[in-house]
Order: sequence, then C-alpha cells, then structure tokens
Amino acid sequence: MKTLWELKAKQAAVVETINSQLTVSVISRLQEMGFSEGQQVVCVRRSPFKGPLVVQVGDCVYSLEQAVAEKINLALAS
Amino acid sequence: MERIVLVGKPNCGKSLLFNQLTGLRQKVANFPGVTVELKTGQFDQFEVVDFPGTYSLHSLSKDEEIAVEKLNLAVDDDDTRLVVCVLDAARLERSLVFALQVQALARKNNKAVVFVLNMIDEVERYGLNIDIKALQKELGAPVYALSAKTLKGVAAFKEALPSLAKQAQAPTELNIQLGEQRKFIERAREINAEYGIRSDVVLKNQNRIDTFLLNNVLGGIAFLAIMFFLFQSIFTWAQPLMDGTEAAIGWIASTLTGVIGPGIVSDFLNDAIFGGVGAFLVFVPQIMVLTLIIGVLEDSGYLARAALICHKPLSLFGLSGRSFIPYLSGHACAIPAIMAARTIESPRKRLITMLTIPLMSCSARLPVYALLIAVLIPKDATFLGVFDLQGAAFFGLYFFGILMALVVSTLMNVFTRKSKELKDMPFILELPSYRLPHWKPLFQRVINSGLQFIKRAAPVIFVISLCLWTLGYFPQGAGLENSLLGKIGHFIEPIFEPLGLDWRYGVAMIMSFLAREVFVGALGTMFGMSGAEENIAGLAAQIQADGLTLGAGIGLLLFYVVALQCVATVAMLRAETGKSRIAWGLYAGYGILAYLIALIAAHIV
Repeated sequence: MKTLWELKAKQAAVVETINSQLTVSVISRLQEMGFSEGQQVVCVRRSPFKGPLVVQVGDCVYSLEQAVAEKINLALAS
Repeated sequence: MERIVLVGKPNCGKSLLFNQLTGLRQKVANFPGVTVELKTGQFDQFEVVDFPGTYSLHSLSKDEEIAVEKLNLAVDDDDTRLVVCVLDAARLERSLVFALQVQALARKNNKAVVFVLNMIDEVERYGLNIDIKALQKELGAPVYALSAKTLKGVAAFKEALPSLAKQAQAPTELNIQLGEQRKFIERAREINAEYGIRSDVVLKNQNRIDTFLLNNVLGGIAFLAIMFFLFQSIFTWAQPLMDGTEAAIGWIASTLTGVIGPGIVSDFLNDAIFGGVGAFLVFVPQIMVLTLIIGVLEDSGYLARAALICHKPLSLFGLSGRSFIPYLSGHACAIPAIMAARTIESPRKRLITMLTIPLMSCSARLPVYALLIAVLIPKDATFLGVFDLQGAAFFGLYFFGILMALVVSTLMNVFTRKSKELKDMPFILELPSYRLPHWKPLFQRVINSGLQFIKRAAPVIFVISLCLWTLGYFPQGAGLENSLLGKIGHFIEPIFEPLGLDWRYGVAMIMSFLAREVFVGALGTMFGMSGAEENIAGLAAQIQADGLTLGAGIGLLLFYVVALQCVATVAMLRAETGKSRIAWGLYAGYGILAYLIALIAAHIV
C-alpha cells in the first residue's frame, strides 16, 4: 500500500483509508475536506527538501506536510 | 433585535457579502486568547452576524471550538430569524459539507435556512450554469445565486431577505441527524455530482498561476520580490503618514499649550499626554499600512502560497509557514505582526510566534541602534576591508534578533510539547483561487486594526506615561537628575553597574519602556541636551567624551535587541493571549535574558 506522501507530481490515486494514528478529530476533518474513501486525489506538485506537497482533491487544492500526508493510504488509480 | 446569522466555509466570499448587506459600519467582537472574530452589522431592522469561515461543526482547535459554540448559541437564540449558508458556487461539494451541517443544526432549533450560491459569476464565466430550481428542491430550502463581487443578484437577495426572515421554517423531514458526520460528506458529494461544475475547469486557472508562483526558481524569485515590496512599503509608505501624524500631534500640543500658558498644566499636557500618548499614536499609520498589505496578500490568495513556501524551513524551529509574514512584519512593528499571527492555525505555533515576534528589531529600535553604533564605531571603519563597519553592525543586530527568536521558539516548542491546552494542528492548508481583492473588507480590516490597537494599548500607555511623567517632573523644577526618577535611578544604580552603566543610562532605560526610541531623548536630557532625537551625532560625541566602554556599549545594544521594552507590545500580547501572566512574564523573561547577555558582553569584550 502506498501513502499520499509517496505520490509523485502529476500522479493520481484514490483515497483508501486514513491511518488511525491521527486523532479522530483530525481524521474526520480530513474526510470533510475531501480525503474520504474512494475520492480521487492528484498530486499537483512536490516541494524541494521534503516540504509540503500540493494535492488536488475534488474541487479544492490543499497543501499537506509530511506528517499528515504519510497517514493517508491510497489505492493506485487504474 | 431580530438577527440574521451568516456562515460559510473559508474563502467562500462571505465577508464581502456581509459588507454588501450591511455597508461599512460594523462592530467586531473579539474573544481573549482566541482568534475568533464576530462581526456585526445592520441590514434593515436586522442585526447581521458574520461568523468566521469554518470547515466543520466538529472543531479541531480551541478557536474553532469557541466559534462553533458561539454559532450554536446564536442558532439557538430566540432573536435569530434566519441562517444564511454561503456556498462557493465553483466549489459546491466542499462548501456543502459545512452548510448541510448548519442546516441540520438550524432545523433542530427550528430556524429558517437560506442558501446563497456566491461567486456565480465565476461559474458563468466558464459558460456553465447551475440549475437553481432543482437544487432548491434538493436542499429543501431557498437558494439564491449571486455574486457579492459583481453585485449580480444581490439586490434581489436583499429584497427577499426580510420576507425570508419572517417566514417560519417549512416543515421538512429531518433527513440527516447532526451526529451522522459521514452522511453529510456523502450527501455533499451526491449533490455536487448532480449540480456542481467540473472541478478541473475551476482549478485550471489557479493551477496555471501556481506552476509559476510555486516554481522552485521563479516562485522563489517572486516570493523574494513580494516580501521585499512588503518590507519596503512599511518604511516608505508609512513614513510620510507617521511624520504627518507626528506633526499634527505636535501642532495640537503647541497650540493648546500656547493658549494655556506655561505652568504645570502645560508641562503635563506637553510631556505626558502629547509626548507620551502621542508618541504611540505615531505607530497607528504603520500598523494600518501593514495590515493593508497583509490583507491584500491574504485576499488575493498569495498568503497561503507564502506559507507553503516557508513551511519546511520554519518547521525546524517549531514554527509554521504562516509565521513568516508576522516575523517579517515584526521588523517594522511588533503590534501588527502580533495581529498577523492570528492566521496561524495551530494554537501552539501561534503562541510561540507571538511571543518571539518582539525579538525582531522593530523600527523603534533604530534610533537606539543608530546612537550607540555612532558612539562605538568610527564612521569610516570597514569590516574585512570592504564593508562599512557601521552598516555591518546594524546587520549584525538584526541578525542577532532573528537568531534569538529562532532559539527561543525552538526552546518554547520543546517545553510546550506536552501541553494539552496548546494542541498542535497538522499543517493542512487550502490553496484558494487567486482573486482580485475587494476594497470593502480590506478597508474595514485596516480601520479595525488601528482602532483595536488604540483601544487595547491606550489605557496602559496612558497609565505608564502618567507614572513616568510624575516621577520625572517632581519635585517641581528640580530637573531630571534630582527628580524622583533620578533618585530612583541613583538608588538602583547597583543593578546597572555590573553592566558598566551608570544611573543616567538606568533612568533612560526605565523611561524607554514607553517606547524604545524614548531612550535617545531621555539620555540626551541626562547629558544636558534637549532634542537629542534630532541630533544623534551630537549626543554620540558627548557619550564618547563621557567614556562609555566598548563592552558596556555592546552590552547595551544587545540589551535593546532582546528586552521587551515596549508597553504597547505587552498590552497587545495581553489582549491576544488573554493572559496578563504570559505578557508580563515574557517582559520579565526577556528582561532577565537581555540583562544576562549585556552582562556577559560587558565582561568579555
């Protein structure tokens, strides 16, 4: 399984689960922001030096730091 | 008064709609220790309350918790007639998640709901449209498509508002209960699939600009250019306004004291009121200019990008990417910088940023630096043969301030790691669409920043100014040396002696608590010079002749880099954190740290 953090620029995938190491409230916020199961995500760009990545989810573009992005598990889009 | 409540997700254009409904008169309610701002204005016979942009009724931080709590109270309140849920027409799904939650909340409390499909102009620009009638049916509540920016549909909405507010809520079956969080997400997705426009259409422009502005090279250059522009403008644009304010206060002072004639009343007005309180009013234009520029950056969408660019390096010191602009602003004045720190989402990082901002060398320190550097360093000395040594010293002081801030923030981050109250929030940042900022919300923000500063800092500045004046003035006619303040200075001389400084410096340091630049004038008085602010070179020569040692001078400089010698900043910190303990504790903490650094400098140089 792959996490959002491993996604390369321009790569697309589908959100599968969110790692339960994050608190319940953060998980539900992520879901409300669009990172819910089955939702397609596209990595718009990667920043140098492991800076936050930019990802498009539905109608929004977000920037996430490593600590969050690596808790979002993906299924690769076919 | 009958009330209308305005809610919506961040970046949905809600504030502008609020302005279009209520005009430019508004009241802002703040809550100590949190960034929640409730804006209240008037529309017809209604009081309109603008709630902060929120993603969800499930809060992540203390700020959100309070915002949600206030919203719950407002929706429950009997005076509330209508809840207006503002949606971003181009981002239907995301804005619906929260709007549907609010609708459920309103239904539970038997309150009427209306949906506003804002920014409909953006949808139309792509040649698309949304079936309002069907959406209305789907949502079980009236839907108004409008654009708060182009004013399209706003008149019709205004006209309908009173009748909407009078109408009792139509009995609709409660389809989702408040606790069923997942269902809101699913429902929003369903509705969006049916009525929303395609996201790649909306995001195309934004992503195109981002390929440039977030590009590793070009984006970096753009970032530096924008920040340079910001920094310059604080000094160049604000300067004439500051000079103007100063001249105006001076004119009022001289006119008034001219009418009254010499005597104690005139001395009091001139020195305590116009000198003390007036000196702090001079900073109002700077605060407003800075607020304006930060507002433009935020409303245009660039602020979020700047935070993204800065996040990684700053996170090494326990800060957020959003700490950068407050830090940069802090080099002009700590007050607007502390206000700008409100945009930092994580309460812990926000607090750490606010508490370290005073270490940035603000413009009030410049006269102090200029004086002491002129005393210590010969004018034509060079550093490594090429750099002007005086200039290098200035640079060194700025750098020392930044270094101290990063060290202190790293330490604070380590020591607050376990704090439950200061929960850290993960860095999840929405990159909103680029938009041309509208002047109305900006105008309001600028006015509010000035008013808030005056309201918060004026009382304490007045008291301190009064105390210092009284101590320095009595016994009458004795001069500063023999005044109560002079006596106190002599009495506490042993404190300053290890630093290689005598009582005169001690008195000037005490007086500079009002504002750091007061140090120059006060020291001038002590050396028998009036108007030393205008004649720094003259005072510097006198101090040189008097024999200030190099170690003591460097110690004094470093003292001013670190010490929180600014009553307005203390007042602002107290208001923002909601705790006097933190503000005065920080004052004492930086004071002790500054003293120790000065002590070390005085002994090793």
